Amino acid sequence: MAATNRGTFLSGAGLVWKWQRLVWWVFFVCLIFGFFSTQEMTERASSLLDHNMAAQRLVKGFDVSAVVLLQQLPDSPLEIHGHNIVHFSLLFVVFMLFATGGILAAYVLDEKPTTTAFFEAAGHHFWRFFRLLIYLAIVLLPIAGLAAASSVIRTHMEEQSISPYSGDHFLEAAAVVILLLLIIVRLWFDMAQVIAVAEDEKKMHRALRRAFGLLRRNFLSLFWLYLRVSIVAWALFAFGLYLWMFRLSPQSNVAAFLLSQLMILIWLGTRLWQRAGESLWYRNYQAKQVPEPAWTPPPAPMYMPTAAEPQQ
Amino acid sequence: MRLTKVFVLAAAVALSCGPAFSQATAATASVDTAAKPLSTRIVAYQIEAKLDASKHTIAASETLTYKNLTGQPQQTFPFHLYLNAFQPQSTFMTEVRRSGTRGNGPDSDWDPKHFGSISVDKLEVANAGDLTNKMEFIQPDDHNTDDHTVFQVTLPKAIAPGASVEFHIVFHDVLPRVVERTGYAHDFDMVGQWFPKVGVWWKNAWNCHQFHANSEFFADFGTFDVKITVPQNEIVGAGGDLVSSVNNSDGTKTLTYHSQDVHDFSWTASPSFSVVEDSWTGSQGPVKIHLLMSPGHMASAQRYIDAEKGTLRLFDQWYGPYPYDRITMVDPPHGGADAGGMEYPTLITLGTAVHMPRGVLAPEIVTEHEFGHQYWYGMVATNEFEEAWLDEGINSYTEVKVMDALYGKNTSAINFPFAQMSESGLQKISYLGDPDTDPIARFAWLFINSNSYGGITYGKTATVLLTLEKVIGEDTLRQALHTYFMRYRFTHPTGEDFLETLEEVSGKSLRWYFNQAIYGTQILDYSLTDAHSDPLKWWETSARGAKVSAKDEVYRTYVVVERKGEFVFPVDVDVKFDDGSSAVEHWDGQDRWVRYQYDRKAKIQSAQIDAHNQIIMDRDPFNNSFTEDSDPRAAHKLRTLWVFASEWLSQLLAWLT
Repeated sequence: MAATNRGTFLSGAGLVWKWQRLVWWVFFVCLIFGFFSTQEMTERASSLLDHNMAAQRLVKGFDVSAVVLLQQLPDSPLEIHGHNIVHFSLLFVVFMLFATGGILAAYVLDEKPTTTAFFEAAGHHFWRFFRLLIYLAIVLLPIAGLAAASSVIRTHMEEQSISPYSGDHFLEAAAVVILLLLIIVRLWFDMAQVIAVAEDEKKMHRALRRAFGLLRRNFLSLFWLYLRVSIVAWALFAFGLYLWMFRLSPQSNVAAFLLSQLMILIWLGTRLWQRAGESLWYRNYQAKQVPEPAWTPPPAPMYMPTAAEPQQ
Repeated sequence: MRLTKVFVLAAAVALSCGPAFSQATAATASVDTAAKPLSTRIVAYQIEAKLDASKHTIAASETLTYKNLTGQPQQTFPFHLYLNAFQPQSTFMTEVRRSGTRGNGPDSDWDPKHFGSISVDKLEVANAGDLTNKMEFIQPDDHNTDDHTVFQVTLPKAIAPGASVEFHIVFHDVLPRVVERTGYAHDFDMVGQWFPKVGVWWKNAWNCHQFHANSEFFADFGTFDVKITVPQNEIVGAGGDLVSSVNNSDGTKTLTYHSQDVHDFSWTASPSFSVVEDSWTGSQGPVKIHLLMSPGHMASAQRYIDAEKGTLRLFDQWYGPYPYDRITMVDPPHGGADAGGMEYPTLITLGTAVHMPRGVLAPEIVTEHEFGHQYWYGMVATNEFEEAWLDEGINSYTEVKVMDALYGKNTSAINFPFAQMSESGLQKISYLGDPDTDPIARFAWLFINSNSYGGITYGKTATVLLTLEKVIGEDTLRQALHTYFMRYRFTHPTGEDFLETLEEVSGKSLRWYFNQAIYGTQILDYSLTDAHSDPLKWWETSARGAKVSAKDEVYRTYVVVERKGEFVFPVDVDVKFDDGSSAVEHWDGQDRWVRYQYDRKAKIQSAQIDAHNQIIMDRDPFNNSFTEDSDPRAAHKLRTLWVFASEWLSQLLAWLT
């Protein structure tokens, strides 16, 4: 199983690379939304800062108080854009809900994601995945309850314990548990999506049930697959942040932009890596499930014409 | 510096064996009671206190000898009982619920077991007997009869001027869970404002305010002899010299402290402290630095020490000598942060975190700030209830100066490769959060809310003084602060005393400034609303078209400056032209606007109000300048950040799909 899993881990990355146009599509949509969401801010910031000598406080370094002052201005260029960002992020969620069908079709069927095939699959699965999203919200409720309970317990421990850190340590442990639970839930729902695409399953509760069964029987290999990719994602993201904050010159706008986009690209790529890995795993699983015929009739005696026989 | 680090490490190892080292070291402190007093000693407190470390309660008795230097007979004496503020119906709690307080404040679901209190079990007066029944709670500020933070007692007979009266008070403290500078957290006890403290006869009346959400303290100078009994495993720090330490047969120990020419006494105890000892020598001799570190915070110890030594040096050099032979620095534990960031005479509380980044200078700032209070509150003992700006505001100004000198002008609050912030920037943004609701000169509890109190009292006062440097010069202001300190140390000066000292030292009448900045709420905001050049003979230029050489063209340049706020302040306007020439205009700012006009064979290159960034009070520095050359890098940088934030949020939310 371990060997199979290692194969899935690397092959998943290979599958993402093979159909990398999917990554690029999603990335560019995300980037475009990002630009749209900040367009108004940029225009207002440009009109305020481009001919302004005080702007040097943001050019030669990054004066935090200057940013706060900008925020405090009555007609601040930063004033309204939190809403824009949230709106476009929600729009991106809808887009991803739509695109996931097309992405999974390419991974599960291992077929070139032409535009037509992509949109057909995306449209075909959109409402199914929307229903899955509702199921996901229901499943996440107890986890949210767990998080709230952890916070309460932490407060209680802080009050009762002599050690100043016992509450925090508990909360850190709880956060790890919750994070692992979230990975498991995502794994489960991703598998349901794979089943929905691979089997053209219309009933999402049935897909969820089958996915749960598969997950239960193959938990370690699947969880390890997801966990490893998650670790890679977080490690690369943290490394990117480190480079951005501590290694890049504050005046390197172009380099900062490229690095930030590379971080987003890698983050997106690793998420699709999880999906590709799981799709591959399911394909392999299906292949193993093809039943051996219970009884094979003996081969019929072959009749081979001989040279002596006359040709018809 | 490096030797200090080695010493700190060595001390930390040695002291991890127990509290004996610190006591032995501190016990060597000289107690020169014979020397001429630095202050007029009006009060003499002798207190014996016993801490129940498991219940966080203190059983204590106090003998207060009060010397009547009021110049008139006194029969009624008011006392503070600060710990009673931590009761649900107190004025403090009412104000906290209404409009917040510093720090976190009590939780909205504040558990009764976290309340604090102080009860007087017995009050006797020498030659007058038991007057416990004569005690009555008074509420001079708001008439809230449920507030028990001040009581008064009327003696059978008035105390003659120059005579003394001796109060014997038996009291019992219940420490609250850490809140507003005092209380317990885990095994840590911060014991501040814990004993019945007599009010101050000031401006020909008793000044003894209730404890409010936005106010601190006010008391007379004198001596303190305090015996503290704690379990033997407790490590104790206090605002006094350790005179003796005796182990008792019941597993406790009694520490005796003496302090003089101070107006308060506080102490702390925890078995988990690590002790770091250091010293610094200034113009008045050596000063022992006694640092008590909480678990997990040792990485910040050297940062505290470095900041403390740097601050001691600069205060000694700039404002005046530090006359005490010690400073105790207390690092509260994780979960006890509300005890941090507080000043008591010769004892300050600090604040850090387990993984405090080097680039966040919070440990340094809190060290500098709280030590600064040894001058602005400790020695120059202004009335924190009524004129909080005199301690917090002046102290925030000197915080800027010291932090800038020690850690760099643009990096004195945050110093990362990717982001920076100056101390003056920090003060300014705290002021501009709510710049014009309250004036600086206002009783602390009369501010509309804690944000306004904090922003105005700390941030605005610092910003006002930084801006004053432009009027009288940085060196003159420093000299004025030195004069103010030397003249008023160990007294209770008023705001007017401070302002008059500024005028006296600078030799300038500054009322026009103080009336707006200290007593008013006007906003200072100048704006460059127009800066452009046109060909003077535009009609000829248009007709001649491209045949005319640009260098022969005469341009008329207009620069318009508007005063957008009501605060009138003289400003300089620097105008630069593309032939390298320039002009500097000085405008008194009296009118609402001014237009400058230039006819030159050059077009405008740039125009800037306050080119040297001296008018820190100017609300909006982004409307002060214009440059012909476009530089889109700032906007691009912001866009990169925002696009990234937008994409990142999108990716996180898309996890749901």
